[in-house]
Amino acid sequence: MTGFTIAALIVGIFCGVSGYENTILSLITDNTNIILYILMLCVGISIGMQEGILKKLREYHIKVFIIPFGIIVGSFLGGMICSGITDIPLEQGTAIASGMGWYSLAGATISELAGAEIGSIAFISNLMREIFSFFLIPFIALKFNDYTCIAPAGATSEDTTLPMIWKYTNEETVVLSVLNGMICSFFVPVLISLCFDIF
Amino acid sequence: MDIIIIMCIGIFIGKLLKQKPIKRGNEKIQLLCTLLLIFSMGVMTGKEENFFRKLSSLGFISFLFFFIPTVLSILFVYYLTKKFMEKKEENHKMLRSRKK
Repeated sequence: MTGFTIAALIVGIFCGVSGYENTILSLITDNTNIILYILMLCVGISIGMQEGILKKLREYHIKVFIIPFGIIVGSFLGGMICSGITDIPLEQGTAIASGMGWYSLAGATISELAGAEIGSIAFISNLMREIFSFFLIPFIALKFNDYTCIAPAGATSEDTTLPMIWKYTNEETVVLSVLNGMICSFFVPVLISLCFDIF
Repeated sequence: MDIIIIMCIGIFIGKLLKQKPIKRGNEKIQLLCTLLLIFSMGVMTGKEENFFRKLSSLGFISFLFFFIPTVLSILFVYYLTKKFMEKKEENHKMLRSRKK
């Protein structure tokens, strides 16, 4: 998946820089909002199809929301600080940080809502979050606690970074990591959309 | 807001459909849409004037947007889990040892 998305970005940049144009290319670039709506519908279907999530949420009670809450608040405040440092408007800065590591969705959505440049920043920064998580998890397991290993992973804690969390923590943290990934993944498109509506 | 509404419609449809072939097809459409959007983002970025000069500043800003939110997430989660989750674990352990 990572390889495909990076390849799509590089080929796209190459087409843009070279000024190459044809009907298919125009069809794609002129209808990105429709593609985004189809993507959001499919993301919703994926969430709706997940079985047993409500049962698991009830099982862990309020405890399951502590980690996603910390990740969302931390990311959001981080986005606010970054927008102050870089002079990027607040709604765009908080939206970029709300990606929480889901670089493909954040990059695609923000590019559609705020332009290609901000979309690229969202893509690269969230890709960095996923990649650096692999190196941060062993360090955090050693210096902090098991639960905190889920924090850098954000929305990726249910898929790509899960093997690292599994390797360096325990069974309970792995279950919480999967649930955290589901909750954060649900909130990524919601938060991005809300950032542009609220600010 | 329209994104949230469309996603909620999707959740509703997902609750009704629970067959594996649909799940796989849905994942493939998601991948295709994501790739098309990322590709389109690349085209738009590449078309910008002085693209290569902008690339280095984009890299630094992206690093900031990765670093600060990630560090704050780590600190918040550490504080919250230390305060609310580790204590409960310790209490459970103490109660268990008293019962013995």
